[in-house]
Amino acid sequence: MTGRAAAWRRGTGLLLRNPVMVKELRGRMRGARAFSVLTIYLTLLGVFAVLVYIAVTESSTSVSGQADVGEIGRTLFGGVVAVEMLLIAFLAPAFTSGAISGEREHQTFELLRATLLPAYALVLGKLTSAMLYVLLLLLAAIPLQSIAFFFGGVSETELLLALVVLSVSALFFCSVGVYFSARSWRTLSASLLALGVTLFFMFGLPLLVGMIWLLADFSLDSVGGSAFEVAMLYGTGAVLSLNPPATALLTQYLLVNRHTAGLFSYTLVNGDSVTLIAPWIPFTVFYLALAGIFLFLAVRRVHVVME
Amino acid sequence: MSAAGNEYVIETRGLVKRYGKLVAVDDLWLQVPRGAIYGFVGPNGAGKTTTMRILATLIPPTAGEAFIDGYSVTGYPREVRRRIGYMPDFFGVYDDMKVWEYLDFFAACYEIPARERPALIDDLLALVDLTHRRDDMVEKLSRGMKQRLSLARTLAHDPDVLILDEPASGLDPRARIEVRELLVEMARMGKTIFFSSHILADVAEICTHLGIIEAGNLVAQGTVEEIRRQLLPVREITIALLDRVEDARRILREMTGVAQVRDLPDEGGRKRLRVDFTGDDAALSALLQALAQRGLPVVTFSEEMRDLESVFMRATRGIVS
Ligand SMILES: Nc1ncnc2c1ncn2[C@@H]1O[C@H](COP(=O)(O)OP(=O)(O)O)[C@@H](O)[C@H]1O
Ligand SMILES: [Mg+2]
Repeated sequence: MTGRAAAWRRGTGLLLRNPVMVKELRGRMRGARAFSVLTIYLTLLGVFAVLVYIAVTESSTSVSGQADVGEIGRTLFGGVVAVEMLLIAFLAPAFTSGAISGEREHQTFELLRATLLPAYALVLGKLTSAMLYVLLLLLAAIPLQSIAFFFGGVSETELLLALVVLSVSALFFCSVGVYFSARSWRTLSASLLALGVTLFFMFGLPLLVGMIWLLADFSLDSVGGSAFEVAMLYGTGAVLSLNPPATALLTQYLLVNRHTAGLFSYTLVNGDSVTLIAPWIPFTVFYLALAGIFLFLAVRRVHVVME
Repeated sequence: MSAAGNEYVIETRGLVKRYGKLVAVDDLWLQVPRGAIYGFVGPNGAGKTTTMRILATLIPPTAGEAFIDGYSVTGYPREVRRRIGYMPDFFGVYDDMKVWEYLDFFAACYEIPARERPALIDDLLALVDLTHRRDDMVEKLSRGMKQRLSLARTLAHDPDVLILDEPASGLDPRARIEVRELLVEMARMGKTIFFSSHILADVAEICTHLGIIEAGNLVAQGTVEEIRRQLLPVREITIALLDRVEDARRILREMTGVAQVRDLPDEGGRKRLRVDFTGDDAALSALLQALAQRGLPVVTFSEEMRDLESVFMRATRGIVS
């Protein structure tokens, strides 16, 4: 009983006041570096938002003679989220790919292994410090996204769901970074491998889906059948739910056009209807599970006695 | 399981570590008594670092057992880690950390509660004389200071045993002396100190016990005195007398432990004898008493101190090329 209570206290203590997390945050927030990253990030986002604004107002006024204000808001919002996603795809794995290999390179890994710090606390400490910084970046961009509210056409739900998709993506990318860092002896190779995986999930998957759609087009003609259509629907949906941009786009599309963030029904070619789910939900489940797997493997790697 | 009454704080039984075909540590039987300053001496590649890494729970032995305070390093690694402060033969230093943060971080890794750490850090910095560098970046410290900071780190969780791999190597003479003084200070604090060196002169002055390792084998182990005797079976005693050399020679020959008595040339009007002696200190004292009791005019009675370096050379002669 008391043993379990003590273990519990130690466990929560290591999560809340993880020494590695504290150390990393101290280092990350020291001096001007953290704030210059933040400044550059916000400047990029701001410049992009202005460009989107100019582009959208010009194109929409030229067509109808009067700007569709809601459309401006939505495009602005979508643009900012897209750029955030791109930045996170590069920053999140970079934040963590030195997590373990960097300790090896500094020859501090041996020192840590001789202490009472458990492997999972090292991995989680590195992860949480990186995630806290990513969350800071995401929260800092909210005012910029909120400009879209002035134009209307964007709801709080969209803002919230975008934040969920961005954070979950970041968590996954950070976990990938930690995993490769635990496998590699060099931070450079860990960075490259982590970036490779990240880019595959960001850009490789859509290409894959595109090819599947091409193939599906041919086979739908030859095979037909609603069972096949349903299978294709779920299959494509599942693959799309593994891709952050597609998930964000589809989720927003459903929110705007179907007014749903959860379940909705879809009518097949033969008139039957099937129930589908907004992709951010399976996306979140997939990505949390994948992040968990990568973290588990990272902890195992760190735990293994190096010889 | 724990045995506070264990005679040996560090003990290995038939410890073996192989790397493929290379045998780094070969059937090692270490015995480090509580409170000892134990110098673990041997040439480069002898297996010192490997042994220490096994003791620090960083690598598993291929065969044999190792115990810290009665806890097996493979069976109870956390108990072992609690009890040892380990300093490897390199500085592990973060490049974006202040001196106090470095100690704070490692204290936290040893589960020292946050509220106890500030006072602990002050004590540790005072001990290693780095109080004035508290807020400096670790990377800015000199080599000697980094070494002292590392020593402070090993003390963060108040361990009983310090395992220090070549703590004085690569330092300038002054820093070397500072480290040596720190080791003595730590021993005074009640720590058992197990440290390695490939230079016997570095350890001879401060250690109470010695283990001489050669190609993974212990060549000799024991108190400094025992080692000296083991490796130099004959002690050379020089006795100077005003007179009565013949009586002295006769008395000496009857004493146990006396192997040979030789005449030395006179010096400043004193007659001198050289005694090859194989007994211990008590026997040596008895020898002097015997001479005094018979009323012999002994002026000086002294042992030729061969420095340990020559003992070491002799111990490892022919084994290293
Ligand atoms: N990780 C390793 N892999 C292979 N050989 C090793 C490894 N570590 C040490 N050795 C070998 O084991 C022997 C003992 O090395 P070490 O314990 O470092 O000696 P010392 O510290 O006394 O100089 C050396 O021959 C060394 O090359
Ligand atoms: Mg060594």
